[in-house]
Amino acid sequence: MRYLKTSEAAALLNVSPNTLRAWERRFGFPKPQRSPGKHRLFTHGEVAALRDALQEGLSISSAISRAREGLAADANSLVGALASYDRERADSAIEAALALRSVERSVEEVLLPTLDEISRRYSVESAAWAFAAHWATDWLRRAIRLTPPPVRPVSIVVGDASRDELDRDAPYIRALELFCVRAGIKVLSLSARGVAGIGDAANVHRPNLVVVAGGHLDDDTVARWAYAIRLAVGAMPLAIYRRGADRPRTRGTGTTVLPSGAGDAQRILLDLLESDHVAATPSASAAAVSARAQIRSVGGFQ
Amino acid sequence: MVSTTGLNGRPALRLVVAPELEPAAPSVTFCSHCGTRPPVSATSANTPGSRVCGSCGLGLLIEATEGVAPQAGDAFLVLDRALSVCAVSRGAERLLATSEPDVVNRHVSDLLMPADAEEDGAESLSVAVAWAARGDGGIRTTVVRPANTFGIRLTARIAGCGPPRAALLVLE
Repeated sequence: MRYLKTSEAAALLNVSPNTLRAWERRFGFPKPQRSPGKHRLFTHGEVAALRDALQEGLSISSAISRAREGLAADANSLVGALASYDRERADSAIEAALALRSVERSVEEVLLPTLDEISRRYSVESAAWAFAAHWATDWLRRAIRLTPPPVRPVSIVVGDASRDELDRDAPYIRALELFCVRAGIKVLSLSARGVAGIGDAANVHRPNLVVVAGGHLDDDTVARWAYAIRLAVGAMPLAIYRRGADRPRTRGTGTTVLPSGAGDAQRILLDLLESDHVAATPSASAAAVSARAQIRSVGGFQ
Repeated sequence: MVSTTGLNGRPALRLVVAPELEPAAPSVTFCSHCGTRPPVSATSANTPGSRVCGSCGLGLLIEATEGVAPQAGDAFLVLDRALSVCAVSRGAERLLATSEPDVVNRHVSDLLMPADAEEDGAESLSVAVAWAARGDGGIRTTVVRPANTFGIRLTARIAGCGPPRAALLVLE
């Protein structure tokens, strides 16, 4: 994936950087990502598609519409490949998408919409969905494995409350994990069914935040799992992801409800992790607790 | 070229001077969004070779004949052969209370309806646009109204423009 700075993208399009920023405001395209220094980074594929469309266009809007259509063709070809059970074609389609977009945008704009389309068109009980969900989960897990080791000093535990890989939420959960790993966060993903030994896992991983993702498991099961982690490493922020916005909740717990889009959810998680509330690491909290306990044991103040 | 008979009795071709053609109407370049006509020396203020308007940065430079090309700030639309909206000028956005990104690729009837009582029917606008987008010369005039408003009549001047070939509909 090749990225262009604003000046480079503007030069490729034969316009000024101000014009490019004006297009971003008015049309939302080309849509840049941000570098760690908050500078715009445009994907070369998007800019090249727009440059070609501008040659044939009658307005910026129509050129952008044409460029978007060209980029949307990737999703259509992936739908076709998965609906015809053709793994190689599906791999080629997602590779084509990756040539024009970042991994995050390929997942958000091509892979996940494709799965939504297949589940809508054939239902989640269909063989087409089983094939598509398996392929997507496999692809996302492979992408997670290929991601460089985490660089941020933060980690999360994801409690997977989905049914299995055929659950409609499962690819979104894998996508969130992928985005977090690619953002440099250490991620431990475990089924929320497994309570036994969860304390050991949490002690090894020392999470800064817990995410409960998926809506299949009932609240009691999920609460037992979250409580087991809390017992092991102390209280910490909890976020829930794709757990059903309409699920009745009897009391507010201060839990953060993440948006259903994997990219938006990852951004909010990053904000949560970087906020002062979470900045205090669990090990520091634990040290404070143990120090307080020592003070009590030697008869100090309370 | 005209045909004559050669030495062997078979037709032969020879070059002749072309008859004096009627001078083509001068064409002018304008922005498909703001209608500004850039100076001839500087087609685009962005960078040389760019079709993007250097004045507003939100339109592409296209050509039309002098008699039909809009002035800066005029309300006009650019439509293709399928009668789809390709461009909406800033003046037309204000006049029709819309925004170009919202209506691009939509049918012209979503924005304008024929309102000429003396015409045969709804075909007048469609025929004029299709005719202009096909590249036939000349200017046609019809009366239209905003699709969602009654009681307002606007004169529409319709002629070809491009590239690529399209119909220019200027509201007066």
